Amino acid sequence: MTDVTPANAARIGIGGPVGSGKTALIERLIPVLQARGVDLAVITNDLVTKEDAERLRRSGLIDPSRVEAVEAGACPHTVIREDPTLNIAAGDALEDRFPGLQLLIFESGGDNLASTFSLDLVDWWIFVIDVAGGDDIPRKRGPGVLRCDLLVVNKVDLAPHVGVDLDGMLAEAGRVRGGKPVIATNARAGHGIDRVADAIGRAVLFAP
Amino acid sequence: MLSRLLSLQQADAAFPSGSFAFSNGIEGLVAGDPAFDTASLIRTLTGLVRFRWAESDRVALILAHRAAPDPARLGRIDAAVEAAALVEAMRVGSRRNGASLLTTHVRLATPGADELRAAIRSGPMLGHLATVQGALWRALGLSEPEAAAVAGYQLVSGTVSATVRLGQVGAIQGQQALQAVLPLVAEIAERPVPEEPDDAIVLTGFTPLIEIAAMRHARADLRLFAN
Repeated sequence: MTDVTPANAARIGIGGPVGSGKTALIERLIPVLQARGVDLAVITNDLVTKEDAERLRRSGLIDPSRVEAVEAGACPHTVIREDPTLNIAAGDALEDRFPGLQLLIFESGGDNLASTFSLDLVDWWIFVIDVAGGDDIPRKRGPGVLRCDLLVVNKVDLAPHVGVDLDGMLAEAGRVRGGKPVIATNARAGHGIDRVADAIGRAVLFAP
Repeated sequence: MLSRLLSLQQADAAFPSGSFAFSNGIEGLVAGDPAFDTASLIRTLTGLVRFRWAESDRVALILAHRAAPDPARLGRIDAAVEAAALVEAMRVGSRRNGASLLTTHVRLATPGADELRAAIRSGPMLGHLATVQGALWRALGLSEPEAAAVAGYQLVSGTVSATVRLGQVGAIQGQQALQAVLPLVAEIAERPVPEEPDDAIVLTGFTPLIEIAAMRHARADLRLFAN
């Protein structure tokens, strides 16, 4: 990362199906990004609870006042796409409270493969799937898989246990995405997290 | 004709305003009444409109429409809304909803939107939904009755939509409920609002069942809506 401080914080989205590892990815990204000097905050869109927000607040990884929860009104799509204004306003409020903020991470509530972020809300976004969901997910060509800026395939350590051909799944993901980036991770073990942080840095933080 | 079309745009659920995340107490009511049905929804909408909106948010909206763009006067209307909202989830929800609506209008460069946001950030205003709606819709050229009609319609249609999303009534049953209360919204939207001096802005509302349900909802572990 460079010392350049943007006039406004860059805003990125992290979406994906329930249980794919979005919160685990953020938990692993926070210390890596902080070690690179990135001043960040997180907004979660939990669907029925504030569990993800509370998990991050209690993690000890980040000042709890830098984590906000925005309700999704039973519509995880709506709050990140059709009507992202509650998220935008929550982001603006965080920027007012923390003037040096460089990166705002919006975590979507668990959703399905049709979930996409509005570019009114974020500058760049990640979609997280996991091998335990099946190696046919890329082939289904959901808008989330196709349109995201970075596809993360998580829980790669489970591949041999759930009968998934990981190399084939990653190759298919790259093919359906027309060569747009795909990164394999095991968020629980921290594998692949540096590559995700590199991608964020290059995309929105002016990193080399 | 243009102001009529602008009214439709503002009333459209596709206009980003954050309102979809607020159930106006319905989620709490439903949690306490598994038999909540279309008739219950009609009774609830009638109560919301007649006993809260008519003499509180509607009056604030009209006063704000007249006061815009004076931030000091808008701030005093905001203070009256704040004082009249007993339940924290409703009070905070109204401010969050106002901020979300304003977010869209700032990006659309609606006249006066930037100044409203500055007044909220620097203190004279709290930015309650009714106050923000009144000020913005005047800037767009909506008349007082048009502004009241749009706000009243949004209150009932948004509450119906929340009830449908909670799975408590069907989409068509929801429209039956909406049709049942629209005459009441129309009648109340046309009621005159006398001008009030700054120190005598009186907003009144009494919907105890909904307010108790909203307070219980605010403490619930599982919930889909902000209030």
